[in-house]
Amino acid sequence: MPSRLRILVLDDEPIVCKRLKPAFQKAGYEVETCTDSATALQRIAEAPFDVVVTDLKMEGADGLQVVERTHQIQPQARIVVITGFATLDTAKESFRKGAFDFVAKPFKLGDILDCVRRIEAELREGAERGDADGGAGKDTSS
Amino acid sequence: MGILSHMADLLARWRGSRGLPFALLFKKFKSILERNNRILELMADMGDKLGGEYVFDRQYIVDACEQLDDHVFKLISDMSVLGQRKNVELFLAFERIQHQLQEEIAGRHHFEGGRLVLPFRDIGPDAEDEVGGKLAQLGDLSNRLHLRTPDGFAITTAAFFTFMTRNGLLALAQQGMQDWDGTDKGLRELSELMQRGIHDAPLPWGLVAQIDAMVDVLGMRRKQPLRLALRSSAWGEDGDASFAGQYATELNVPPDRVVEAYKNVIASVYSVEAWRYRLDRGFRETEVAMAVGCQLMAHSRASGVLYTCALHAGDNCEAMVVSAAWGGGAAVVGGETATDTFLLERTPPYRIIIREIAHKARRMVPAPKGDMTWEDVPPDMQDAPCLTDAQLEQLARAGMSLERYHKRPQDVEWTFDAEGELHVLQSRPLCTTAEAGLCVPVQDATSRAEVILSGRGMVAQRGVAVGRVVLVDHATDLDAFPDGGILVSKYTSPRYARVMRRAQGIITDVGSPTGHMATIAREQRVPAVVNTEVATELLRDGEEITLDATQNVVYRGRIAELDRFERTETDVFEESYEYRLLRRLLKRISPLNLVDPHADDFKPRACRTYHDITRYIHEKAVETLVDLSQRHEALHHAPARRLLDGPPLGLTVIDAGGGTECLPEEAGLVTGQVCSVPLRAFLDGLTESGMWDTAPVPVDLGSFMSSFTRTFSASQAGPREVGRNLAVVLREYMNVNMRLGYHFNIIDAYIGSTINDNYIHFRFLGGVTELVRRSRRARFVAEVLERFDFRVEVHGDLVVGRIKKLSEPRMLLRMRMLGGLVGYARQLDARMHSDEQVADHVRTFMEAISNVVATHHDDPTKRTGGGHAVTTAHSGT
Repeated sequence: MPSRLRILVLDDEPIVCKRLKPAFQKAGYEVETCTDSATALQRIAEAPFDVVVTDLKMEGADGLQVVERTHQIQPQARIVVITGFATLDTAKESFRKGAFDFVAKPFKLGDILDCVRRIEAELREGAERGDADGGAGKDTSS
Repeated sequence: MGILSHMADLLARWRGSRGLPFALLFKKFKSILERNNRILELMADMGDKLGGEYVFDRQYIVDACEQLDDHVFKLISDMSVLGQRKNVELFLAFERIQHQLQEEIAGRHHFEGGRLVLPFRDIGPDAEDEVGGKLAQLGDLSNRLHLRTPDGFAITTAAFFTFMTRNGLLALAQQGMQDWDGTDKGLRELSELMQRGIHDAPLPWGLVAQIDAMVDVLGMRRKQPLRLALRSSAWGEDGDASFAGQYATELNVPPDRVVEAYKNVIASVYSVEAWRYRLDRGFRETEVAMAVGCQLMAHSRASGVLYTCALHAGDNCEAMVVSAAWGGGAAVVGGETATDTFLLERTPPYRIIIREIAHKARRMVPAPKGDMTWEDVPPDMQDAPCLTDAQLEQLARAGMSLERYHKRPQDVEWTFDAEGELHVLQSRPLCTTAEAGLCVPVQDATSRAEVILSGRGMVAQRGVAVGRVVLVDHATDLDAFPDGGILVSKYTSPRYARVMRRAQGIITDVGSPTGHMATIAREQRVPAVVNTEVATELLRDGEEITLDATQNVVYRGRIAELDRFERTETDVFEESYEYRLLRRLLKRISPLNLVDPHADDFKPRACRTYHDITRYIHEKAVETLVDLSQRHEALHHAPARRLLDGPPLGLTVIDAGGGTECLPEEAGLVTGQVCSVPLRAFLDGLTESGMWDTAPVPVDLGSFMSSFTRTFSASQAGPREVGRNLAVVLREYMNVNMRLGYHFNIIDAYIGSTINDNYIHFRFLGGVTELVRRSRRARFVAEVLERFDFRVEVHGDLVVGRIKKLSEPRMLLRMRMLGGLVGYARQLDARMHSDEQVADHVRTFMEAISNVVATHHDDPTKRTGGGHAVTTAHSGT
């Protein structure tokens, strides 16, 4: 796995990106943020990410589609869904489409950092075991 | 038959005075209590979000407000059914507040009272809407950081809106923007149209009169002829965008030219450059609002600019830079004169690294008839430094406290007057070209550092602090607290407010993030971590540490990278739109104005916030149920009686079936006639514990903290006798609403032989002293409840304790304990002078209550202590 985790944050409310970016950077991760799903999907098509953090309900686009597309394009990426409409149904649906974890808005910075750290630990373990499915992905060399 | 239907059945036999079944009325009453609690919790949750720990978005704010709207509306509806009144006034108050909230969310601003002018000293926190970003900051500087700023007054944004709307100018600008073809030429034409319109339009007569009155007041205190500086203070100016140099400043304005100068400043809003600047940064036309500050002109001996952080040319060391010249500062800002340059270290004692003294041949001074002019500097001063070392140090200290407060480097305009006093003219974020911090490998720096503490306690205010540990206890002379130290203490104390301007950070062993010290730390944005349990053991006095109150870690030594990262974080959360919006909304939700039910203004019409409505209805709901039952005495059933013996509780008992054994004609009852199992245990506990102390304790209103929270007038503060208190009982059930002295107790309990049905809900809230003591008392109550195995949530000064499914004897033991607790806590907040006393009171109470509850083997007073941390509840969990 790469030395630094690469994270993509997608939320149509800029405040969420603004808060998450420095928090992730400070924790030592590389971060990109977008506020529309078209840009996000374009970035996902262009560059590998270890973690994709995305909102579910956004104006003009269904976050579930993003989850689904991400899962298809970059199956190694772990998807964390953040949403204010925390219902069991949407959560279930997002897991079915490939989400890895679910954090209800509003959340504490510490909660989402813990979530990403868990993913990091798992990916590292997977990489050590040489388990290709454990998240090492195609980026092991970098 | 389940207990609920059983209760409903029993209650239904009792009918209210106007024919509504009591079951329905009581159901409404209980629904009011539940909603009341839900509203208080929601408000507390929203308040929590302002601390910086949470990531929330606009949707959260909208949802939370909608939930509140819904609960408050239904609360009034329930009250209408209970009291069988229309409550028009309450609904009107609700509609008023709801409308204000909706307008605020929609980005339309509502100005209560709409003050057109405002003296600087009256600029409170959160005045940004009224006086714009820059003046609100100046108000902060003088009122919170106690830096000297020139006296004067603000012509508010409400004045701007009044002037612009009356003359159709706002509509003109908005329409103009809609129709704009996007070309420079088009913008220039629009700009000229607007500026001409402003100059030609008359200022409303009332506004002119108020400006004149303010100018007169300023003139009265002066010997020399009055001269003013008029400076812009627009919305958004000095927030994320600095707008440096975009808006006009008028200097040395004589009194008869103030109105003209005001229009000049206003007109600069619509200059091509300013308009372009706003468009480039995504400001909407509806977000344009400008207040204007009218300041006394300082008689400047020397003036200039301070950058609190600049990269020292050549090497990578950070330093402060001072540029200074004789006379007025406009020459320095405009780059029109040679200046002395000083480089200072960024840490106390702010050593001078470099000193370059220029040849200063001329200086800017006020011209006799207004505006500024040049004059020659006397020969002996031309090559002399224009600042002394002591003045430089004073300037550096002011600069660092500004930087720490705003959490980013500052660009400060300052002047020393003829008497050598330092005045801060304005301070705005310093926009450095390189975002140095973001390239800093923070991770590398922190991974090498030794961690002293990690993840202990709770973050009360986020941020990073680097400095030396200063161990403090109640005996420490706080006046000797060194500049730039990190305060480390066993307890939190509002006393520390005094040193917060000098402290870089705060770490305590105990305390809660909702306590009052934490509130002040947030106000002053001092990074703070509380409840670490071990800080005073692990940290040594004088050692240098780095406190990262964002990740909640304390490192040994100085990690400059972390400090720099924090300062250059691209967005400071307090300055985000969502944060400002939530804070503005909470101003119409949370403050409690209706504190005294005996006061004349305890009326629906006086409700200004949702909290007011909620408080009013709670009081009235209890009163209504008592009234209904008393009127009912005229009828034959007569189940409502005053309790005659025991402590003077003022308790009316409504027996809805099997709760008392009295003859029908008896008007009162004694404890011996109470056969409601829970009520009897509660009353026994209250009496047997001997904890009822009827001597009222005077409230110390002189304490300085009252100025930080809402103030109570002396008439509101008197310890009132008990309210009209009410118990509705069945044989195995009771619902008690009791206002005693300073607080409310609500207990809802069912205790019978079926373990699974048994429960006690205890709620404790309110109080008339300041928040510090109330929250101390809340902590006391919470700790006692936890020792008796209650599941406890604390929201500010609201304590909710729940316990269920214990055997009857165990439930009764706890009910007796609650009797003692209600008696003990009755006036406790008036005595809670320090945090240390919380633990003392818990100990005292546990000893005193032991004889009342000692009959059972499950006596928690006999357990060995420890591990009873009070948890603070948060939303969404």
